[in-house]
Amino acid sequence: MSLPPLLLVFVFVGLPILIGLTFSLGFTSGPNRVVSLIGQQIHRKNHWWGTLSAYQDVIHDSRFLGDLGLTIFVTALSTILVVLLALSVALYQRLIGGRKASILVTLSIVPLFVPVVISAWAIHTFYGGDGFMRSFFSQFGINFPTLTSTPSAIVIGTVWTSLPFAILMVSSGMQAIPDALIESARDCGASGARVILNILIPLAKTPIIIATSFTAIGILGSFTIPLFLGPNQPTMLGVEISNFFGSYNRPQQSLVMAFIVFFIASGIAISYVWSNVKSARESGRL
Amino acid sequence: MKRLNLGRFAINAFIAILALFILGPIVWLALHAFTSGWTYPHLYPNGITLQWWSKVFLDSALKTAIRNSLLISPIVVLLSMVICLPAAYAAGRMNYFGRKTFMVGIFSANSFPKIGLFAAIATLYYALNLMGTIMGVIIVQLLGTIIYMTWIPAAAFAAVPKNLEEAARDAGASKFTVFRTITLRMAMPGILVAIVMSFLASFDEAQGTYLVGAPNIYTMPTEMYSLVQNYPIQVAAVFSLLLALPSVLLLGLARKHIMGGQLAEGFQLK
Repeated sequence: MSLPPLLLVFVFVGLPILIGLTFSLGFTSGPNRVVSLIGQQIHRKNHWWGTLSAYQDVIHDSRFLGDLGLTIFVTALSTILVVLLALSVALYQRLIGGRKASILVTLSIVPLFVPVVISAWAIHTFYGGDGFMRSFFSQFGINFPTLTSTPSAIVIGTVWTSLPFAILMVSSGMQAIPDALIESARDCGASGARVILNILIPLAKTPIIIATSFTAIGILGSFTIPLFLGPNQPTMLGVEISNFFGSYNRPQQSLVMAFIVFFIASGIAISYVWSNVKSARESGRL
Repeated sequence: MKRLNLGRFAINAFIAILALFILGPIVWLALHAFTSGWTYPHLYPNGITLQWWSKVFLDSALKTAIRNSLLISPIVVLLSMVICLPAAYAAGRMNYFGRKTFMVGIFSANSFPKIGLFAAIATLYYALNLMGTIMGVIIVQLLGTIIYMTWIPAAAFAAVPKNLEEAARDAGASKFTVFRTITLRMAMPGILVAIVMSFLASFDEAQGTYLVGAPNIYTMPTEMYSLVQNYPIQVAAVFSLLLALPSVLLLGLARKHIMGGQLAEGFQLK
């Protein structure tokens, strides 16, 4: 019964990726014939296993290096901000609770229900040259900077869209920790900070790692947010992959970039799987 | 006492900043749907009007996009249910290793950058004559729903206690009755969350739909790409409100279960 979705994933995800991999290595016949005829700067294989010329093209492209730097910077900064925000909201909800806590959680979930295209465009206008932030601060004579089309706007956008998932994961992890553990630590004289650092965060480690890795992978491959909010150059790799494929008609280099992003994402994914395996082993399920 | 006040001030400030950060952009965009114009640096619009709404409803391209979206997304969700739910049930009943391998397999497909996948998929699509067709758009959107439609229901099925089903069998219930009245009913909240998340994933999908569908088929999100370039901001605002409507309705429907941990539960490989 588990065959249909696996088959679907294999045909429409696995197969294209494999064919794409052979194409990036310079195999230009078979299924890659049409795209090789249309595309520009195509490298053809000169060894039995292919060629790395397209990879060298990309790695020596200063444009790519700028994009890669920005992508890693945005991914790291946004992920840290998202996880810190999720942690503070979840900890507040777990330790203090009440109406204000549920307001915080509800607020953080709102982006889940707003299509990305809309949120990107809304943030674009909000922080733009004639947006609310600039209009509001100009009432006090303060010249608020135009954030739209800068890396800051990408960070704002990715934090905005990634927040709900992280909050849901971390807060459900925190809620699962029994009150008795917190109370007995308190009774032994543990301070609030100690309870957080030595009990709550270690016990919610798995959900926190899941939230972190999913957030990072999502941001790494993001497209709409940097397209609407980022500068033209450098831009994030998601946008550049699409530029190279469409506007510049260099499909081979575009795929090479996709594989580089995939390589980084795999590293993050492995940490996610590992954290799950470890927690399963600790609780005796493995 | 002083410390308490400081703490209360800090949390109120935090709520205010988070509210401005999250709601500010949406409210700002939504307000534009009812204004004739807005000149920097005024905090009030130049005037109030509903003209943009009639503009959207009279524009045939925009109407087609709305129709396409409302047609395609339900099909995608139904197909996703047919393909994935039996698998989720099987996975929920597998041993730890089998389930984990299945789910990680699905997950690894999800960590390839979507835009790169869409670039790679073009080759296959040309070969299968799917480029620019409704079927092609449906498949591209289907791919984004698989992770929700397998992971969340699998966790929900796995959480149904086995001894409950066995007790019902012992009491003489048929296999089908047990499945319908116990297994399916207890897993229902998880399935509901999966349906909502899949619908949102399909309804909001823009990158793949644009690459595969344009210039033949536009859905509401892909229409937004051209809208923001070619129309005044107020039209985009009206369109955004329309596009957000189904999501907000679904929020009301599934909020309890999503916040109750069904979503979080599904993303832990238990």
